[in-house]
Amino acid sequence: MTSPKRLSQEHQRSLQRRLKAGDEHALGELFDLVAPWILGLAFRILQDEDEAEDVVGDVFVQVWRHIDQHDGGRGPLVPWILSIARNRSLDALRRRRRWWRKSAHLEQAQVMEGGGSAPAASHEAAVPGWPVHREVHAALAALSEEQRRVVVLSYFEGLSHREIAQRLHLPLGTVKTRLRMAHQTLTEGLRHLKDWVE
Amino acid sequence: MTDWLGLSAAPRTPRPELKGRVLARALAPRRRWRGPLAAAAMITLVMGGGGGAWWAYRTIGTLTTERDGLVARVQALEDTVSTFIHGPATRLIQIPVSTGGRVGSVTIFADSVRHRWLVRCDGLAPNARDQAYQLWFITDSGMTTAAVMPMDEDKPMVMALEMPRGGEGDPRVLGAAMSIEPRAGSASPSGPMVFHRLL
Repeated sequence: MTSPKRLSQEHQRSLQRRLKAGDEHALGELFDLVAPWILGLAFRILQDEDEAEDVVGDVFVQVWRHIDQHDGGRGPLVPWILSIARNRSLDALRRRRRWWRKSAHLEQAQVMEGGGSAPAASHEAAVPGWPVHREVHAALAALSEEQRRVVVLSYFEGLSHREIAQRLHLPLGTVKTRLRMAHQTLTEGLRHLKDWVE
Repeated sequence: MTDWLGLSAAPRTPRPELKGRVLARALAPRRRWRGPLAAAAMITLVMGGGGGAWWAYRTIGTLTTERDGLVARVQALEDTVSTFIHGPATRLIQIPVSTGGRVGSVTIFADSVRHRWLVRCDGLAPNARDQAYQLWFITDSGMTTAAVMPMDEDKPMVMALEMPRGGEGDPRVLGAAMSIEPRAGSASPSGPMVFHRLL
């Protein structure tokens, strides 16, 4: 199997400096590094390849024009980019919901996934960030089924606490408690993650 | 911490053409007039006749103003580049280098006012798969990394860099160096030195 590529903090800082200085070549390098993850996250939320590709475009436009808004002191670059990707994907999902109920295709795909994300195929192991993916995926899988369900509905579908309670026929307080406990568990399990460190 | 959850989704390999499309879109100048232009064209079609002509007149006026604005912006950008390259505060440093048995050069336009460097590398041998060129600032407190530049193709590379400002708590830049390091870059130079130059 191809050995996983890793992105060092040094390389990321270098990319960030070059992006802030307007280096277009750096944007191409950033694409090679993070586009598979942005596309994967957007597709996970939208279940539509074309819409997911649109999100990738939106994310890179935002990163290029607003890289100055990223405060390196408050967190590394990749989670910041992923949060943009998630927000853009959820925006697209909400736009879609406004026009029609979630399509049967989306429902079917989510039922097939059982509310959790499937582990990536091994042929993707050469993608930069792969070791972190394995750790995050394992942390999510280690949650109880009840906690994982509310986390997935909150993070990947952007549902509010109240909407999750209605969807799962649970009291609002139960949803909040499960989310809080899941967040604590994830924070503890992923505390050591500072970046895509070597 | 939940921001990391995005990495729990399986990565997807982008289609080959997506990169070009995304970069072209991101790097394209903002064209705010496209929306108004489309709206104006639609209204013109609907109204027709004299009213349409009036709208067309207004639209052309708006577009002319927009065009003049864009021309002014382009000229301003040209001035900026010209200032960067020819400005009295910009130093030009050309460093001949030899990599992989071939002779090349590294040219640095160092703008001490804006604390920016424009670096052009010509004739550098492509890196081995597990290596990259790494550019360093030589400062009064040691060497700090400026950029990691994996070079896979035999073609010139141009990059803009922000340099330490040399203010309070910030090291003063005394020179530049380049070395060949592992692909991911190093915290301090450890590989063969391509050049080492005090400015």
